[in-house]
Amino acid sequence: MNHLQRITSITVLALAATMTAAFAQSSTPVQTGVFHGQVHSTSGRASIYKGSDGKLTLRLTNFKTSNGPDVHVLLIAASDAQDNDNFLKNNVERVELGKLKGNEGDQNYDIPADTDLTKFHTVAIYCERFNANFGTAPLEKF
Amino acid sequence: MISFFRKHKLLSAVAALIVVGALWYLFRPEKLFINQRVNEPAPFAAGRDAQPIYTGRLSGKLHDTSGRATVYRQRDGTLTLRLTDFHTSNGPDVHVVLATADDPALQNTAPGKALASVEVGGLKGNEGDQDYKLESKTDFTRYGTVVIYCERFHAVFGSATLQPF
Repeated sequence: MNHLQRITSITVLALAATMTAAFAQSSTPVQTGVFHGQVHSTSGRASIYKGSDGKLTLRLTNFKTSNGPDVHVLLIAASDAQDNDNFLKNNVERVELGKLKGNEGDQNYDIPADTDLTKFHTVAIYCERFNANFGTAPLEKF
Repeated sequence: MISFFRKHKLLSAVAALIVVGALWYLFRPEKLFINQRVNEPAPFAAGRDAQPIYTGRLSGKLHDTSGRATVYRQRDGTLTLRLTDFHTSNGPDVHVVLATADDPALQNTAPGKALASVEVGGLKGNEGDQDYKLESKTDFTRYGTVVIYCERFHAVFGSATLQPF
């Protein structure tokens, strides 16, 4: 094998490896649960997806809640929560995932890499301005 | 007080406007009537494989039954029922079937009343992950309950109510 052939084959191999890595990445659900919420009528499903690279994503599907000001998506360290729970006052440990993108439809939220899902295993749709819990989804193993 | 408002009409008007504006910003009452709809795709590359479309937790009726039942749709439209973390008791002539949620036989506390069911297949094992083929025209809005069912004694071992994934 001459020098040029060797360089070519190495390049081809490297390219193939890169492409395989890029296309082999996939995301599968690891936890899932259904929303309940009476006061602000919340429904749909919350699932946590884990990518082959370890990245965690919260995905809401068939989701519907009422629109409101300053509504956030939280992971809370509780096994469930009532409609009138006040997380800010009760000092429930929580991980902020961001402002609710829309009160209807499918949507994704990045979960911080170091989040302990055995501890934070409930999703809450929470209006921070009025300390109102719109809906809660306790998660179970998928 | 009233004379104060009369004297300072402009000032009062501005103050009223600020108060109304602040209240509006705080409560955003128009949001009660306006919906904000989003439609993001599933996390990347998830679309290449079979997608879960329904899922539910199995719970025991006559025998301890636990685990999860999930319906997957392949890209070609094929439907598969998958049981995961599954456990039930072993028994004779046990089948996986679909039934309607309001079937009175689901409430059986003793073997007896027959279930009006759609056959999925004989139970492959009483423990572990397993797949069953489903008819592609299965109507899950009607037959939305997965039942582990002993045909011989008409006994409901356990069931799972499917909900959209």
